[in-house]
Amino acid sequence: MPSYILQINNVAYPVEAEAQMPLLWVLRDLLGLTGTKFGCGEGLCGACTVLVNGEPQRACITPLSSVADKAIVTIEGLSEDGSHPLQRAWIAERVSQCGYCQPGQIMNAAALLAKNPNPSDAEIDAAMSGNLCRCGTYQRIRRAIHRAAQEA
Amino acid sequence: MDSRTLSRRDFIKLVGVGTGGLVLAIYLDGCAPQTTEPVPVISSLTPSQADIAAGTSVGTPTATPAASYTWTPSIFVKVDNNGVLTVTACRSEMGQGIHTALAMLTAEELDVDWANVRIEQAPTDSQFGDQQTGGSVSISGYYLVMRMAGAKARQLLIKAAAQNWGVEADQCTTQPGFAIHPDGQQKLAYGALVEKAAQIGQPSSMKLKDETRFRLVGSDIGHWDAPQIVTGKATYGLDVRLPGMLYAAIARCPVFGRRYNSYDDSAAKAVNGVRQVITLDDRIAVVADNSWAAIRGRDALQVAWDEGDTSNQNSETFLQATAARLAAQDSAPAGSIDALYQIPYEAHATLEPMNATAWFHDGICEVWAPTQNPQAVQRAVAGAVRLSTGKVIVNVTLLGGGFGRRLQTDYAEEAALVSKAAGAPVQVVWTRADDLQHDFYHPMRLQYFRTSLDRLNMPSPQGNRTASSSVPTGAWRSVDNFPQAYGIQCFLGEMAAALKRDPLEVWLAVYNGRAAAVIQLAADKAGWGSALPVGQGRGLAYHATFGVTHVAMVAEVAVDTGGVVRVRRVVSAVDCGRAVNPDNIAAQMEGGIAFGLTAALKAQITIKDGRVEQSNFTDYPILRIDEMPLVETFVVESDRDPSGIGEMGVPPIAPAVANAVFAATGKRIRHIPILPEVLRA
Repeated sequence: MPSYILQINNVAYPVEAEAQMPLLWVLRDLLGLTGTKFGCGEGLCGACTVLVNGEPQRACITPLSSVADKAIVTIEGLSEDGSHPLQRAWIAERVSQCGYCQPGQIMNAAALLAKNPNPSDAEIDAAMSGNLCRCGTYQRIRRAIHRAAQEA
Repeated sequence: MDSRTLSRRDFIKLVGVGTGGLVLAIYLDGCAPQTTEPVPVISSLTPSQADIAAGTSVGTPTATPAASYTWTPSIFVKVDNNGVLTVTACRSEMGQGIHTALAMLTAEELDVDWANVRIEQAPTDSQFGDQQTGGSVSISGYYLVMRMAGAKARQLLIKAAAQNWGVEADQCTTQPGFAIHPDGQQKLAYGALVEKAAQIGQPSSMKLKDETRFRLVGSDIGHWDAPQIVTGKATYGLDVRLPGMLYAAIARCPVFGRRYNSYDDSAAKAVNGVRQVITLDDRIAVVADNSWAAIRGRDALQVAWDEGDTSNQNSETFLQATAARLAAQDSAPAGSIDALYQIPYEAHATLEPMNATAWFHDGICEVWAPTQNPQAVQRAVAGAVRLSTGKVIVNVTLLGGGFGRRLQTDYAEEAALVSKAAGAPVQVVWTRADDLQHDFYHPMRLQYFRTSLDRLNMPSPQGNRTASSSVPTGAWRSVDNFPQAYGIQCFLGEMAAALKRDPLEVWLAVYNGRAAAVIQLAADKAGWGSALPVGQGRGLAYHATFGVTHVAMVAEVAVDTGGVVRVRRVVSAVDCGRAVNPDNIAAQMEGGIAFGLTAALKAQITIKDGRVEQSNFTDYPILRIDEMPLVETFVVESDRDPSGIGEMGVPPIAPAVANAVFAATGKRIRHIPILPEVLRA
């Protein structure tokens, strides 16, 4: 079994697993980082979104071997204490309902704001349309991203 | 009435004899334990497992030192020596905001600041009555129960303070977190009074706050667990981790109600990480070291299924057979109109797929499940693994969506059986395809309407039929209200068109009272009657889900030349009695609308060769952010006791959109989803 050192949230994690094992299951089942969620397994819902070298990536279709030498950030590492502008905005706008998709939504939004600090509604829709929410929190997600953009 | 002083009889009368009444009867009879342990729970949980089970209560909004003393005046309330109130929520939290709302009611009556409130998921225990979360009845059933629990604790704290000061208790008052002396100056913190209060016993009367003086109830409070959610710390079913836990994926017969004939598991066992292949009665489980290995192992099984003639079934046949039984043989006579409306099978598609974790050991079975129905899980698991219900411990995690799917118990039974056979704690993971193809679907439903146009009457269906088939069906957010509202509200629109009358006028002619009030409010706020560009239209619909919460919606749609319906704006007017958490009512309207729009415009479950054809979000596409309309919610101020809100946003949206599509295009669509090809035709 190949072994890897993964850089996740600025911590080095030794991992022994097959090269093709999706990052999602490495995080959740091998490392106990369960904030990254399983929703579809085919990169269709965005619940498993993490940042890989700053880019949003669907962990459920990301093979372990492809991220071995890259900086991975998961929802657990977005901030030390929940104080990232998006996390604060999410609470202020009362976005979450069941909350299951929200870590993926927030990680995707973090990547958007890193590139575009003040996105329009249309830019938010374009960037976020791959992140599904069955509870329908979408208009609050838009508001929270605008709020975070203003406060950042 | 300035305030409510209730006798037990009054209380039962007010709450009725439903679940709330049952809990209350127990509570007022003084059977609730008065010691620091709220409920005798059979549990073998080690501390680390207890932490997992209590995952929904982890984390605190404000830093507070650990409590050295906790008082438990009822099964719903704990107050510690820091003055922190912990509310035990006996309902499942699946996004509808019930944990927060229940705690608001108790905190209101106890008189504590929201920052000093914590919430714990109740254990599965009959002391709480029926713990099923469904039918949008949690708030109506527990409005008085949770207030009484807070009021009782407040009364006892006041009594403790009064004894301390040597004054009459009825001369004392409270401010958040403090008992106040009759002089209005001296005060004692609740935390300093809890030990004394614990000695007092039952208060002589229950005095509830005057509702006009509510401080928390009626204010906008975000979900209590939001800080956990946004940091990834909230514990859903799939996040349960136990020492030595294995993972399993299960091969289920692709046609309903059948089993395997034979199978070859050699390829499955060759998958790295696969430990065991376990046969249940009708399905086959692959147990592995991690979810990925379990899923790959399951996919590598070669199974010959005994499909029988179920594999001849398809939804098109169900539809035709049902329609043939429904529609009138003769055509509608002159001066009358008729219509046949169709609702297809729909999936729940909770974003957290079905799952459960079980650990069968030492003569008990522990279950961790995102379930709406812990007591049914307890009974079902007990039956499946042959234990008495007292030996089955069900821990409810947060639910990544429920919508009725998690009222069922199949996912937990499987997990228990696999754990028993594997001799280890096991988490059964469902893939998205498993979840979409083994659901308990919204039934296919057809309704036939006919009416003469000489008088304007409230339409009611002449015929109303559910397709009979092998397809398992179950509760789907708002259940029968969804097809009912679709038929009646669309047919009202057809009547208005046939009579060449303004729809609003027609709706106001057939509805009165609270119904008419929300219809008028939605119309006013939407600017009913104002001009819209060509290709756009407004549609109106109203429905009282379960007969208790009145919701009217005006949808504004634009239909492009390709037949794509874009819902631009929805104005929603709601009368659900007193608004406990108004912003959550708006959130539930947004959620109900998104859920209803997925069915109205995008997704359906179809059966071919006895199998569900859909397998993921590509072919069961749920609404996306760029398809979400602007939703504006207006809540009618009311002094009535609150009714429910969790399901009430769903039924009106599909007919409002169908009526708007008619206004925009002149095309009357009588079935959903309203796909572009239907409108292009």
